[in-house]
Amino acid sequence: MTDAKKDYDFHKESHTERMVINMGPSHPATHGTVRFFLKLDGEKIVHCETEIGYLHRGFEKHCENGSWTQAFPYTDRLNYNSAIQNNVAYAMTVEKLMGVADKMPERGVYIRTIMCEFARMADHYTNLGAAALELGALTAFIYFVEARELVWDIIESVCGARLTSNYIRIGGHASDLPENFKAHVKKVFATNRELYEDFDKLLTKNRIFLDRMRDTGSISVEEAIQYGFTGPCLRACGVEYDVRRAQPYLLYDQLDFDVPVGSTGDNFDRYLVRMEEIRQSMRIIEQAIETLPEGPINIADPAVRQPSKEGVNTVMEMMIFHFKNEIEGIQVPRGEAYFPTEGSNGEVGFYLVSDGGGKPYKCRVRPPCFAMTQAMGRMVEGAFLADLIPTFDMINLIGGECDR
Amino acid sequence: MPGKYIPVNREAEMTLWEKSYVPEIIRGLIVTASHFFPNFVGVFRAYFTGKTEKRKIMTIYYPEEKPFIPDAYRGRPVLVRNPDGRERCVACGLCEVACPPKCIFIIGAKRKDGTRYPASYNLDGSICIFCGLCEAACPEEAIVMSRQYENLAEYDRGLMLYDKESLLVPAEKLERRLQHIRKRMFGRCTY
Amino acid sequence: MFEYSYIPPAPLLPEILEMMLKIVFIFTMNMGFFAPVLGYVERKQSALMQDRIGANRADLFGVTAGGLLHIMTDAIKLLFKEDFIPRGADKLLHTIAPLIAVVPALIAFTVIPFGGTYVLWGHKVNLVIADLDMGILFIFAVTSLATYGGAIAGWASNNNWSLLGGVRVAAQMFSYEVAMGLSLVGVFMVFGSLRLTEIGMAQENFWHWGIFYQPLGFILFFACALAENKRVPFDVPEAESELIAGYFTEYSGLKFAMFWMAEFLEIVTIAAILTVLFFGGWNIPFVTLQSLVSFFGFLGDTGSQAAAMFLQVAVFWLKVGALIFLQMLIRWSLPRFRYDQVMNLGWKIILPLALLNIFLTGLFILAAN
Repeated sequence: MTDAKKDYDFHKESHTERMVINMGPSHPATHGTVRFFLKLDGEKIVHCETEIGYLHRGFEKHCENGSWTQAFPYTDRLNYNSAIQNNVAYAMTVEKLMGVADKMPERGVYIRTIMCEFARMADHYTNLGAAALELGALTAFIYFVEARELVWDIIESVCGARLTSNYIRIGGHASDLPENFKAHVKKVFATNRELYEDFDKLLTKNRIFLDRMRDTGSISVEEAIQYGFTGPCLRACGVEYDVRRAQPYLLYDQLDFDVPVGSTGDNFDRYLVRMEEIRQSMRIIEQAIETLPEGPINIADPAVRQPSKEGVNTVMEMMIFHFKNEIEGIQVPRGEAYFPTEGSNGEVGFYLVSDGGGKPYKCRVRPPCFAMTQAMGRMVEGAFLADLIPTFDMINLIGGECDR
Repeated sequence: MPGKYIPVNREAEMTLWEKSYVPEIIRGLIVTASHFFPNFVGVFRAYFTGKTEKRKIMTIYYPEEKPFIPDAYRGRPVLVRNPDGRERCVACGLCEVACPPKCIFIIGAKRKDGTRYPASYNLDGSICIFCGLCEAACPEEAIVMSRQYENLAEYDRGLMLYDKESLLVPAEKLERRLQHIRKRMFGRCTY
Repeated sequence: MFEYSYIPPAPLLPEILEMMLKIVFIFTMNMGFFAPVLGYVERKQSALMQDRIGANRADLFGVTAGGLLHIMTDAIKLLFKEDFIPRGADKLLHTIAPLIAVVPALIAFTVIPFGGTYVLWGHKVNLVIADLDMGILFIFAVTSLATYGGAIAGWASNNNWSLLGGVRVAAQMFSYEVAMGLSLVGVFMVFGSLRLTEIGMAQENFWHWGIFYQPLGFILFFACALAENKRVPFDVPEAESELIAGYFTEYSGLKFAMFWMAEFLEIVTIAAILTVLFFGGWNIPFVTLQSLVSFFGFLGDTGSQAAAMFLQVAVFWLKVGALIFLQMLIRWSLPRFRYDQVMNLGWKIILPLALLNIFLTGLFILAAN
């Protein structure tokens, strides 16, 4: 064995090139408008470059033009699968800036927790269903889409729209829960549990599915932390970090729920973590509904949250505040605040800077899937082309959130 | 706080019986077949006898069947017309300011008896995002989100710039929404 | 000198007429009935499995035949689509690739018997178009030709994605040819013949059905046949979410329809082969041809044979239908393999198991004698 043999580069000597293929923004698998430049050696990926920004709509700049309340419809459209969580994150940041966070009444806190968990369920249904679809199990996809439809029916009966909920306001909510909410939820959960069992039986122990998902797209714990992973992807690596437990907000320190943690950080662990989180969300909602108190849903301060119409039409101060808040926006004192919440993808936080007026001076959102998208190139290097698909699915890249 | 971090069940070791692909595949086929056969029988049953209970079909057969629209649904925004024929709107301009994409354009005027009214009220349906902030801002219950979700698309954007006449709807038709507003939106702001 | 066990007599007019009728029947059943109806069945079956209704809106003068008219609308739509050849593609190869894919699927049906032997008006009528004495090998030979269609289509499209699909097609179909052949050797050893009509006739007794003698062979052959047909879970060449549409990305219109039809025709062929080899062919369980003929004895000599013929042919197509249902069920339930797992399965798992099957069958035959 001479040294010449070790320096022999097959590709240089045989005058071959690696195939450069473009998995462009319009591709059945990139359901988030992302572009991958792949250099393939046969079927193995040698290099993968990610390009994002195809859904950039200028959210942060847009928020600076409207008042604090007018940003709510735009926060819906960030992570459009779990819109209410973005609403809640933004509202809680503003309330922290104003210093009224602890004045929230009980019922308001319960409603926020329940709706956040419904949004988490909808997002996980979408993500796991899409993963099944990309791997060829079309019936499993439809089952979870069915389950998601039922969850969206509940969200529609509360907020008025299935996806762009626009439900939370600063200091409270837009409207109250409908009547028969508890009965509706019970009915929906019965069907959802059946569909969940069907999906589980179809896929979780199926050897074909396991071969696709296990040991593909894995990342080590140190690298995950360096890239800034949060949420199910970080927990799949084995790190026990959930914002709901580390820095509790809303009702999470009083409710009894478990947080699933994986061990190896591959796609199968992410899948299992998300499946378990669906069940835990159902558990949280059932606990919260049992003890849902009656009472007001908004903070009792007309400078923060609009009063009732009888008040507006009869009491002078309330009418003044109503008109001022609508025309000039809610006056938020000078300062800056960041409030982390656990979105379905990871840690969603808003960093808001206020200069004392009715419009945000700066509104920056921390997108959880941005960190995971950075790591795509690292996770698929050396893997097959067909491994890119489940990896990309399980990091749950949502174009609206990553590109804002 | 109750609850803990639990490890997920990875099933790393599978028995030889499970490693061969067949048992789980058969289980999966039984799951889908258990959806197929009740639906299959149900099709014939529904065709011959008209009974549809046993079917698990989730599809709503639009446009013969319409979906259930809850009270809170935010459809197209409309102006409310009083029983005496006048619009309730007093052209205060709050909805114009509250609208995030700025799709409302109002020009106010005063009548001879001193009451205000909108001389022209234009709402651009192609910009409206159906968020409902105008309805929440209005102090007069003059603009509400109706339950209309059909017939909203046009071939020409100019046709989607609604003027006051095409926005006005009598108050009896909007009673359901007005009740929802009074009970669940504005009524819950009392403290 | 070769010894022929069956020397066909010189063809006369009745024989030619019978041959034409059989060809016309098979052609109509396959092209005219199964290929379009399978499209409908796939839609409706998948819809019922997924709690949906499926496509049923197309109507003719207000009559919706529960969605059957969608077959016509699909065909008309595909006919009228623009037929393009991408720039830089090889024109000749791009055009003939669909033909190479479709024709073997049609030809393979010529040796499959869809009924037994009956005596009509004094003539012995054998319900198979060509009673070759090496029937099943002919089928293998012909279906191997279909590999060319996919590989040529992948290469001739001047598209990176199609090339990946074409490479995968060639590799996958080539790997499963060997295993497919070997998994059926057990059946031939048990029944002692390669001629499909003899295998069918030997299964007249219910307990002699192939599935009881060769359960492992059935599973292996089923898996290999699914892989040859490029259906889920082996539809790696066509993987919709990875390669857009694999080797037929750049096809539209009637050429695309031909690829699509080739897939459906092969489903029928596979179901028919499975029926003949493992599920008793045209035989009704626990009923022999003699008892059927004597049951219909009141219709006269030819009449009773004809009635028995119709009944057995109907039973054959019923069994084929059930196996088609099973294939559709598998297609819509399972996820798909990764490319290297397909190769792994073919070479390292199915091939050794097929050899093991042959070994065990040999031991079993030795012990039975």
